[in-house]
Amino acid sequence: MDKLAKQLRDDAHRIECSVSEELDDRIRASLEGIQPEPVQRPRRESKSFTFWWASSLTGVAAAIAMIAFINLQAPGSGPAQTESNPQPLIIPTVRWHTETAVLTSPLEQEFEDLQADLKKAEEAVKQDIDRLF
Amino acid sequence: MSNEAALIEAARNGSATAFTDLVAAYRDGLLRFLLTRSSSFADAEDALQDTLINAYRYLHSYDARWRFSTWLYRIAINNAAKLKSMDTVELGDLSDEGNDPLRQCIAASERENLWLLARRSLTEEVYAAMWLRYVEDMSIKDISAVLEKSVSWTKVNLMRGRKTLDAEFNKVATDEKSKAYG
Repeated sequence: MDKLAKQLRDDAHRIECSVSEELDDRIRASLEGIQPEPVQRPRRESKSFTFWWASSLTGVAAAIAMIAFINLQAPGSGPAQTESNPQPLIIPTVRWHTETAVLTSPLEQEFEDLQADLKKAEEAVKQDIDRLF
Repeated sequence: MSNEAALIEAARNGSATAFTDLVAAYRDGLLRFLLTRSSSFADAEDALQDTLINAYRYLHSYDARWRFSTWLYRIAINNAAKLKSMDTVELGDLSDEGNDPLRQCIAASERENLWLLARRSLTEEVYAAMWLRYVEDMSIKDISAVLEKSVSWTKVNLMRGRKTLDAEFNKVATDEKSKAYG
């Protein structure tokens, strides 16, 4: 244990306080007056084999009926044809006036320096954390 | 089944006596911790009472994968936060020795108690993390669970807390020396 940790522990023990008899009585009386809430166990649903079998059969039957209905429809009953929109589609054009930012060499240098500093700081923090914990 | 597990089971079944025995080992530590976050001794006592009542009432929600003290401290911190939001006195304003319950409970000493220094210079979360680590001996994982923070947050802030306290402690020591030498 290092010096600071020891001092923190010693100083915590120098805080002189404990639960008084009066508070103890108060807590006991409060606890006697309440009941803990019952344990809530998740409900288990009964899934019998018959139910599973019946629901599967119903699903298969419904799927077959739907496929038959779609395939046996009259050829003329397809979706109605619509006329194409006579109005030409107008797409508004937006003119952008932008300039590309160019990093001059001092800025690039500064950016690289900052990245290097950041990396150094990260490594220092990592080392400190590894050393402590 | 361990003694603690047996007491938890009995308390879950409605035995207040088993619950009292279960928390007996944690009560003084909890009160001390709550005292550092309250504006009066009575508030700290109320917070402890609420913590224990809530713990008893919602004991079914305790997950045995965690230490019991971890769960108890989580409730205590929530209660202290609730109490503080209702309170009009700011802890930072408790510089007057007559009003500060923590100062009243600290034995006289040549140097300032580090927890008074910590309360002045650290945020509440970092303060709590430091307390749980260095007084309650909690693991980083448990502290993260109590404070509902990530493990990385806990590690980084414990380290920051240490650095801040170290710096503050050295500053106070230097000031005291220079005063002594005039």
